[in-house]
Amino acid sequence: MQKNNPVLMTLLWILLSLATLFPIYWLFVISVKPAVDLFTTPSIILEKVYWANYAKVLTDTTLRRYMINSLIISSGNALLVTTLAFMACYALSRYNLAGKENIFFWTITNRMAPAAVFLLPFFLLFTQVFAIGDYKLYDTRIGMILLYCTFNLPFAIWTLRPTIDGIPRELDEAATVDGASTWQVIREVVFPLARPGLAVTLILTWVFAWNEFLLAATLTSFNARTITTGLSEYVTTTGTEWGTMASIAIITLIPALIVFTVVQRHIIAGLTFGAVKE
Amino acid sequence: MAEVTIKNIVKRYGELEVIHGVNVDIADGEFVVLVGPSGCGKSTLLRMIAGLEPISGGDLSIGKRIVNTMPPKDRDIAMVFQSYALYPHKTVAENMGFSLKIKGAPKAEIDAKVRQAAGVLDLTKLLDRYPRQLSGGQRQRVAMGRAIVRNPQVFLFDEPLSNLDAKLRVAMRVEIKELHQRLKTTTIYVTHDQIEAMTMADKIVVMKDGYVEQIGAPLDLYDNPANVFVAGFIGSPSMNFLRGRIRSEGGVQRFVSDHGSVLPVKPIEVEDGRPVIYGVRPEHIGLGAEGLAVKVAVVEPTGAETQLFARAGEDTIDALLRDRVGVRAGEAVNFVIDPQKAHVFDQQTTKRLS
Repeated sequence: MQKNNPVLMTLLWILLSLATLFPIYWLFVISVKPAVDLFTTPSIILEKVYWANYAKVLTDTTLRRYMINSLIISSGNALLVTTLAFMACYALSRYNLAGKENIFFWTITNRMAPAAVFLLPFFLLFTQVFAIGDYKLYDTRIGMILLYCTFNLPFAIWTLRPTIDGIPRELDEAATVDGASTWQVIREVVFPLARPGLAVTLILTWVFAWNEFLLAATLTSFNARTITTGLSEYVTTTGTEWGTMASIAIITLIPALIVFTVVQRHIIAGLTFGAVKE
Repeated sequence: MAEVTIKNIVKRYGELEVIHGVNVDIADGEFVVLVGPSGCGKSTLLRMIAGLEPISGGDLSIGKRIVNTMPPKDRDIAMVFQSYALYPHKTVAENMGFSLKIKGAPKAEIDAKVRQAAGVLDLTKLLDRYPRQLSGGQRQRVAMGRAIVRNPQVFLFDEPLSNLDAKLRVAMRVEIKELHQRLKTTTIYVTHDQIEAMTMADKIVVMKDGYVEQIGAPLDLYDNPANVFVAGFIGSPSMNFLRGRIRSEGGVQRFVSDHGSVLPVKPIEVEDGRPVIYGVRPEHIGLGAEGLAVKVAVVEPTGAETQLFARAGEDTIDALLRDRVGVRAGEAVNFVIDPQKAHVFDQQTTKRLS
């Protein structure tokens, strides 16, 4: 067989794309069918489009609130985590901190236990320990942002460290000799060169917070409820509203797509090429 | 421009001392080269002058100001790194103007100074390019341009040519030298290449294991090396060294090697039989009818000169001849040495006796 046959490669990619996109297509088909059609004539062929599921979801103020909560929590978390991880990685990479490799490993161990183990401690912390007067972290957006930080930050530091380590230290030194302060070195040199790594970290942490279900279901009730937990409200004792759930699922894909499209432009390989002779 | 005074500078990493009280005085506008083998402390010393490494002891002053704890940005220095260290996300113009931008200079001033420096270094056509679009030599010139734009008191170069190929290295050497002659800025240049040191420096500082071995003008080091290390390090091909003793016979002193080779020396006040190291440069050896009888092992003609690798019994001696000689490997010849150009060093201290 000829290597890199363009026809064969194109066919392979089409097949892989179809396999990836098919579940989404199926979800869309379900979302545009009335409930009665779903079980009477199961079909993946789109004969006529029934928009009522979308109309119901989009006019539902509760769902809109859940969607806004999800957006604020995911974006707030991703921004906070990426910023903190960037600064942590800069310190781990550039300063001779005593036992810095141990600090790095200890950070990673925070991700080694399953999230479910932390449910009860977090519930107690959020409802009873972290309370100022009547204010509690339970069912607040800020509470969820901080909660996801504990899970996302170790992961983000682990992801971002090689990027910062990969930026030659001579560039920091050149900028220092050029008169830059530490903040100016970070802003003018390290940050622009770390953009691909920062973009990847931002996307992955955003997606984690956007998709997370278990902790959100336990630590929110209404005010800070997210769209993923909102979905589960359509599974009731009297039945499951598959059409509505599918339309919510399709709608939740849109912000994720937008974030991916905007952020992935920054994922460029070989940004530091030409900086130093290797 | 400014003079730089390095007084008893010490560098320690914890308990380990790597630079042991170095003293160097650098005059205003002087081109000083720090030279030595890898690990001798020359780059560490340069980084201390730049402010990139803390100074563990002693005083460093630039233009009469003690700058030991002063951050690099306040020292008014510019540095060219071995790896160029160009900002890859900035264009040539942005790279060169970075220090002025940090200083908050108006855009028009930055543009004017960048254009002026680019003109000096023949970079005007490349100002909009990124470092990845440049050749090694062009990148090196941008790194120099970045230093010139600041019009600093002192230029620091950290092995700037070691990543270039041999031909480009010679060309850039001339460019740097010309640049210095034009700008007359005090320059401290680090290299492990003694030819670079000899050709560029007003003054050479030879370092080894964190100590200064000798400071002097290039030809002074060549003619009057302080010890065996400097004698062997300066000059290419390297000086021949033979171990032996000074013997006096009928009022005439001679050097007799441990393997029996007898060589002439200029008169020297040492006791008879003193163990010494005899040193003679290959280019100070000629062929003649009388002299040390040797057997040629290898002949290396390069056109302009011919190098002979020869053996006198157990002793090996190289000679570098300006003439094209018809000597072949295996042939017996006589090496003639001018005693005025030979050196004698003490075996214990390795210091030069004559």
